[in-house]
Amino acid sequence: MPNLPGVAEVPDTIVLKRHRDLEGRHKDVWFRRGLLTLVAVIPVLGLFNVFGQRPGKPTVATAAARLQLYAPSRARGGLLYEARFHITARQEIKNAILVLDPGWAEGQQINTIEPGPSGEASRDGQLELTLGHIPQGQTYLLFMQFQVNPTNVAWRRPQNVELFDGNTHLLTLKHHLTVFP
Amino acid sequence: MDLALRSAVIFFFVFLLMRIVGRRELSSLEPFDLILLVVLGDSVQQAVTQDDYSVTGAFIVVSTIALLQVFMSYLNFRVPRLRPIIDGEPIVIVQDGKVIEGNARRERLTLDDIAEAARMQQIASLEDVQWAVLETSGELTFIEKQKN
Repeated sequence: MPNLPGVAEVPDTIVLKRHRDLEGRHKDVWFRRGLLTLVAVIPVLGLFNVFGQRPGKPTVATAAARLQLYAPSRARGGLLYEARFHITARQEIKNAILVLDPGWAEGQQINTIEPGPSGEASRDGQLELTLGHIPQGQTYLLFMQFQVNPTNVAWRRPQNVELFDGNTHLLTLKHHLTVFP
Repeated sequence: MDLALRSAVIFFFVFLLMRIVGRRELSSLEPFDLILLVVLGDSVQQAVTQDDYSVTGAFIVVSTIALLQVFMSYLNFRVPRLRPIIDGEPIVIVQDGKVIEGNARRERLTLDDIAEAARMQQIASLEDVQWAVLETSGELTFIEKQKN
């Protein structure tokens, strides 16, 4: 737009080419829109559970037992969550022992384990929870409540679960946890 | 250490957000905007300090944010090339009583918005306006025509 005749002086530091005609600034608005789109991607990813903490239901079954885990594989610092272990005995399990990877205790508070296991121990660095007898056809439901430490960050930290009958290995369930800051 | 890192990350994220949201939105604090601002502040605070209630934690966070603010201000002062990025640039919205449509649309300003801002500066008609400039602060400033 040309300067009109008789028009008052342009205000100090205003350069008409740049501030009125936007010379060299036409890309700015697209840059801004691009960044805004990037920002908009964050809640969309959140809606699709990229940042947790919607629980999954990984399941493993063998002839002896079936184990279903109900727990998120993604969480964020400070969040409370629950892990539920459904153990169904297809055959009688005389002394069920659940062995958890140390990733279940690493960087998070274990607020409660219900029902309390009859024994807790370390098995070569893993957490060993003795659950006891599970008659054939029955289900043992173990609840664990956690809170992720706010400073904890993890990428696919192993949280595998193994089920034993005494010293006999029955099954292994693969699970992992990613913790966003 | 994580407190300083969290503060820095949130500082730059909020800075980026404020730059791309557009200045007009930031300058007009309607009651709803004010509530949003409080909600934003609260969300940010929780992300920064989380469960840290210590005075030391507050010192770390406040110092980090203050230092970053001074740093940005210093950059803005020392590196003229960065000014458009850090502070933005003014944009002429009205010249000689006429709204520059493209510029107003770019800043999502309606004729009503401009007229309202003019009225707030005791200017009844945009025809009396020589220049209206949307400043980097988000304020619209008006320079009236010289009356002979």
